[in-house]
Amino acid sequence: MALKLIYHFQTSQNHEDEFVPASYGVVYFFSNEGFLDKDFLKEIARSVNPGTSDEHLTFPNLDDLKGFALRVCQELSERDVRLISVQDYNIGIDSAKDLVSLRGIFNKYGELIQNESAKKKGIMAKFFKS
Amino acid sequence: MTYLENSKTFDPLRPGEQWFYYWKTSAVLWESQILQFPKDEIVFLPLYWGLHAESVTNWDFGQTLPERDLLRLHEILTQHGRKYCWIIPLSPAPFFPNGGISASAARSLSLDKNGVQLAVLDHEMNLNKIFSFFEPKVFGAYAGFLKEFGHFLRKNKIKSPVWGSELFYYQDGKNHSFFDDQSLAFEQGFSRFLKALHSENLEISDAKSEKHLKQKYTDEVKKLFTTTAEETLGSTWMGVQKIVILGASPKDTILRSIPSGKSQLEYAKDLFYQLTNSFFISSALLTAEEKKDLLSSMIVENFGHKEIQQKYNLEPPQSYNQGLSQDFVPYSVIDLFGSTSRGSFTSTKLLSYLHSNLKSLYTLQAEFPFHQEWIDANQARIKLFNGAELHRRTFSQLLKLFMMGQRILLDRTGLSEDLEKKLQIFLVENNIKIQSVNFITSIEICELGEGVLIIFQGDRLNENPQAELFWRQIFKFFDLSQPEVTMDPDVFSVWKIRATSPHELSYLNVRRLNLYNPTSYKKIVTIRTHKHFAFMKMIDPSRANAKSTPSGVDVEILPQGKIALDFGHYEDT
Repeated sequence: MALKLIYHFQTSQNHEDEFVPASYGVVYFFSNEGFLDKDFLKEIARSVNPGTSDEHLTFPNLDDLKGFALRVCQELSERDVRLISVQDYNIGIDSAKDLVSLRGIFNKYGELIQNESAKKKGIMAKFFKS
Repeated sequence: MTYLENSKTFDPLRPGEQWFYYWKTSAVLWESQILQFPKDEIVFLPLYWGLHAESVTNWDFGQTLPERDLLRLHEILTQHGRKYCWIIPLSPAPFFPNGGISASAARSLSLDKNGVQLAVLDHEMNLNKIFSFFEPKVFGAYAGFLKEFGHFLRKNKIKSPVWGSELFYYQDGKNHSFFDDQSLAFEQGFSRFLKALHSENLEISDAKSEKHLKQKYTDEVKKLFTTTAEETLGSTWMGVQKIVILGASPKDTILRSIPSGKSQLEYAKDLFYQLTNSFFISSALLTAEEKKDLLSSMIVENFGHKEIQQKYNLEPPQSYNQGLSQDFVPYSVIDLFGSTSRGSFTSTKLLSYLHSNLKSLYTLQAEFPFHQEWIDANQARIKLFNGAELHRRTFSQLLKLFMMGQRILLDRTGLSEDLEKKLQIFLVENNIKIQSVNFITSIEICELGEGVLIIFQGDRLNENPQAELFWRQIFKFFDLSQPEVTMDPDVFSVWKIRATSPHELSYLNVRRLNLYNPTSYKKIVTIRTHKHFAFMKMIDPSRANAKSTPSGVDVEILPQGKIALDFGHYEDT
């Protein structure tokens, strides 16, 4: 089960006299099995960034977003997660022609974050297996 | 070969709903392909208009390439006595490369609200990128194509109907038009639009007004495409159909690209949402693997040949109260009217009540088609109107329906002062007795002959924990005669009705309940007939079984199973 996350950067905005600072928001977060459960993601997001709104999964900076992605990875005991910005995803779409090239976008343009604990677990598992 | 058999063997040239992709094969194969359509089925030809571009200003209908030879296509169809319709997209079409736009005009990629490029996997898993209709070159090319196509039809005296189609995808509980776009081309067009509005003193003052003006701009550009098609194609123009393309949303593109794919359950949810919301669907993007088993049956049984004929006005709508026929027709008990009222139906808990108690027995209608055929065909259904969406004409029509003996529910929240006054005058002039009740909200019950008009204050139901109790009382008042069905939310059902045959005269009518289990688990459905219905038989069980019980029927449906049950409806003695 490989995790993939598409995010977008939202510039600061004024919404009806309310200043909304710039943020990084999760657009889609999914594995090979489908989209990850929203309530589960919200719970993790709140633990990483207590200011996360109930409606959107947003983070004040890219490091927090990456921290969130890694936490999800750890919770699900996944080896890694690939992050890609909407802009990079769109560049990938622009050159993709079919299912194979669509799947390849994340490997080609995405940033890999590894879950070291799962990796170690993997090595140990192999050791004990042999 | 039946449609079902066809969908099982899967032909990429005939991707579903009687469409024929003439452009996907050599013209020499058109005849043999067309002959594979059942003779009584009308053939729909989606026009890949971008394909006909020979250059920026020249359009080819067969003079250069045989695959663009629409006259030859017309001749083959007529020679074999086949009826057909052209379908011209009025928005980007996800089943065509570039969304149907010619290469010279496909400049600006279409973006969704998250800024994600719209791209769709087709039935052969090719990625079709969607280009914006807000790019000025697109309208130029589109208008040029329509002009030449109209000329081609007149020159060759082709009178086959042309339907416009606005195409949608379904995501997060809403249908989104492929026309809607957030691309640079849209933003540039919008700023030109704002400049033009500046002279009319209309400006953006806040985020809400920006959203409103963007919608206004989108609607105006959309109208430009539609009116151009209507004016150019003259008498052959039939109107606009709104079609939701299954598997076309940005989320679907991701789901369909991962190894597990989009599940039959997810497709079933989409399909039944469209059925409840009176939208027509196309399964043109789905692969043979996706269309296997249950999904194929659900499409054929609910969006099949007969439904297509009715949707495209090739058959009059069938009535279930003015002379039922021997064929089953869809059955529901209430129509909810209003294009923007879904929020109010949700906040007043009406939708959750209906979903729990009258699942698949209600429909949401964006438009109110007030004409005799429609009135006759839908007389037995209760009709609910939202006061905020009514204007003088629709309000008068609502009162007419009441006087004709129909059952009307009116939420007076948001009803204009003018219409409120009109309502009071109507009630006084017709000497209608009003029974006022205060139960959770204020209710006025007016009766005239068989007609019932219930006026209530809907805003007092908003987020009210007793709202469902209110709806229970309302539907109890209407005394609906309907079997009670208890089932898992992931089991889907459709009710149909037909007249009795000579050996079934003890019944008033016959109701059919179609049940589908698109999940991977066994499901149990319990039907209580409440002394009004007698279980007659089960039809075409597939991985399912039904057992008669003293109170009704118990059904067991295995994963991907389906069954239909017939019930005779009789009066309680």
